[in-house]
Amino acid sequence: MTGIIILFSFLAVILVAFMSIIQKSLPDAIILFMGVGLGAVVLFFVFQAPDVALTEAVIGSGISTLIFLMALKHLKAEHEL
Amino acid sequence: MNFKRDIATRTYSGFAIAALLILTILNILLQIGPPDIQRAGDQLLAMSADDGVANAVTSVVVYFRGFDTLGEIAVLFIAALGIGLMLSAHNRTTHEESNYILKKASRMLFPMIMLFGVYVMIYGHLSPGGGFQGGVIVASGVLLLLISREEFEVPHSVISALETFAGISYVLIGLIGLLVVDKFLGNFLPNNISQMGMLFSGGVIPLIYIVVGIKVGSEMSMIVQNLIQRSDDD
Amino acid sequence: MIEALFNYFNQEYVIRALVDVGSMTLFFVGFFGLLTQRHLLKIFMSISVMEIAIFLFFIGSIFNKTYTAPILGDGHTAFVTMNDPIPHAMILTAIVIGMAVFALGVSFAIEYYKLTGKTDINDINEMREK
Repeated sequence: MTGIIILFSFLAVILVAFMSIIQKSLPDAIILFMGVGLGAVVLFFVFQAPDVALTEAVIGSGISTLIFLMALKHLKAEHEL
Repeated sequence: MNFKRDIATRTYSGFAIAALLILTILNILLQIGPPDIQRAGDQLLAMSADDGVANAVTSVVVYFRGFDTLGEIAVLFIAALGIGLMLSAHNRTTHEESNYILKKASRMLFPMIMLFGVYVMIYGHLSPGGGFQGGVIVASGVLLLLISREEFEVPHSVISALETFAGISYVLIGLIGLLVVDKFLGNFLPNNISQMGMLFSGGVIPLIYIVVGIKVGSEMSMIVQNLIQRSDDD
Repeated sequence: MIEALFNYFNQEYVIRALVDVGSMTLFFVGFFGLLTQRHLLKIFMSISVMEIAIFLFFIGSIFNKTYTAPILGDGHTAFVTMNDPIPHAMILTAIVIGMAVFALGVSFAIEYYKLTGKTDINDINEMREK
């Protein structure tokens, strides 16, 4: 059962990361990057590491995305190029 | 050579390099059989049973490798210093009024978030959590307050005093351990093994983690305040 | 049929191969983004994705199905058959430091934009000798 969960989580994380890098509009890329962090939290939980999962959840979904969004507001950038 | 990043060249070369490196690394990794791992963690777990702390990762971060945590706090301090140096010179004038739903909801959410952050910080040695996680949760509560009220600013002197106090007391606890037990960051408070699982257990370990949590929380609050933009013309 | 699929993926060497292949693929997805993107913030995001891949590889390569989390509670009363706590502590430190360096890099990008108004990496050529 753990093997199937690991397989699907890895597939999801790789797909979401690839889509986040190719996006043209920057706010979409940031939300998809938050999805990468959440997929990593699921994987850390299956690997029996609760401290690392809690830290990645708080920092990846809370602070990293926030810093990115505030930088976007400063740079006045809605689209790439 | 002038490698300008135009579309066709960069895409194909990117794909080629990435595929080449994937094949190389996979070729190396998949030829190693299941390794015969000698774990250093076995002896560490046996030593950790004498310390009286239920969370083994906390005792590794704070007690067995406490000097690395001191270095990590120094790195965080330098990063916060750099951000404050570059971004705090712009004036922040508040023009726009925030959302009505946000204002009413943040009144109910803010105490819950702070309470949860302090709980995660204090129970770091009994359940997953600790100083870093609790500090970042407290900083996100402060961020909620910053975006829902226009006139709120984190007072600079209070944050300065908290951060200084936390940083000094970390080194002071280490020096007191050096004087009493002959080890820097040694355990000089009473820690019985019969107390494992209680709130007051483990000697000096929960104290250090609370101090780390205060420092990380105040630093992240300053970083968040420096990055936020209040008005549209800047 | 489904039973056979489940049992195939539960074997030791299949999980280890899955962790290796998956995390290295994620690393090179981020590497591809680092090479080919032009906006500064996208480059920082790709570096962050590469860091997450390394953390997954680290924690996944000591994973064993018979070990549990290194915390006492829920009936466990002794530290036996538990996971190794040293890599967990190292990855904790690495996650926090990665976030701090990322915040610093983003503040540099903001300052540069306020100074000259460019975010494209092709246009940053003040120090290039003509």
